[in-house]
Amino acid sequence: MHIEATPRRRRNLVSLTPLIDVVFILLVFFMLATSFLDWRSIAMDLPGQGGEVSGEPTALVVRIGADAAVQLDGAPLEGLEELEQAVSSALQQEPDRLVIVRPADSVRLQQITRVVERLQSAGAVQMRLDRGGE
Amino acid sequence: MRLPETPRREQAENVIPLINIVFLLLIFFMLAGVLTRPDVFDVQPPESRQGQQTDLPDEGVILLGADGRLAFADQELTLERLEDEVARWLADEPDRRLTLKADADVSADRLLDVMDRLRDAGADRLMLLTNPAEY
Repeated sequence: MHIEATPRRRRNLVSLTPLIDVVFILLVFFMLATSFLDWRSIAMDLPGQGGEVSGEPTALVVRIGADAAVQLDGAPLEGLEELEQAVSSALQQEPDRLVIVRPADSVRLQQITRVVERLQSAGAVQMRLDRGGE
Repeated sequence: MRLPETPRREQAENVIPLINIVFLLLIFFMLAGVLTRPDVFDVQPPESRQGQQTDLPDEGVILLGADGRLAFADQELTLERLEDEVARWLADEPDRRLTLKADADVSADRLLDVMDRLRDAGADRLMLLTNPAEY
C-alpha cells in the first residue's frame, strides 16, 4: 500500500490578509472615534431674575472690565492673586456668601473662567454670573 | 557567473508580529479611550485648574460656539427654541442638571443671553465644562 505524504504547507490554506484588513479597519475606527480629553466642571448659578443690578445685599461682587481688570466690591485690584486673597479673607466669616461675577460685555469666557477658578480656590461655593460689568 | 538562488518566499515575511502589534493597539484604543459622539459643531472649552473632574454627560449638554451658534440635544437651534427645548427637557424631571459646553472665545454678552434664557426655562444652576489647563 502506498500512502501519499500529507502536504506540508497546510498553514497557508487560510489567508491572514482579510483578518489583517478587518483589524486595521477596526483600529482606524477606534483611533478616530475615541477621545482622551479630560473634563472638569464648575457649578454656576444662573443670573438673577429680571436682570436686577443690585443682587443680594450680602453678596461679594467681582467685576471684570473689558481690559480684564478686576474689581472686588468696587475696589480695583492688582491681579488675580490679590483677588483670591481678598475673597478668601472675605469668605472666612461667612463661607456660604454668594459671589456675583459681573463681566463686561466683551470679556471672553476664558477670562471669566480664570476669575471663577480663583474664586473657587478662594473657597467660594456659590457663584453666579450676571450682567453689569462696566 | 552564478547568481545566488532567490530565496523561497518565506511564509509572507512572517506577518504575525505585525498582527500582534496591531491587535495591541486596537485593544489599547478600545480600553483607554471613550467613544464619543461628535459635536454638531466644533467647540474649544476654556481651560481651568480648578473644577471637579467629570465625565462628559450624555444628555443635557448645551453647546455654545465661538460665533454664538447654539445646539442642544444634537440639534442646532436658535435662542428662542433653546428656551422651549430646555423647558420641555426640565419639565420631565426638574432636578436634571444642565451642562454648558461653551467655547473659550464666547463673549460674556452672548453667554449671559444664553444663561438668561436658561433661567427663564426654569433652570437655576448649570455646570460649566472646562478642560484641565496644561500648566
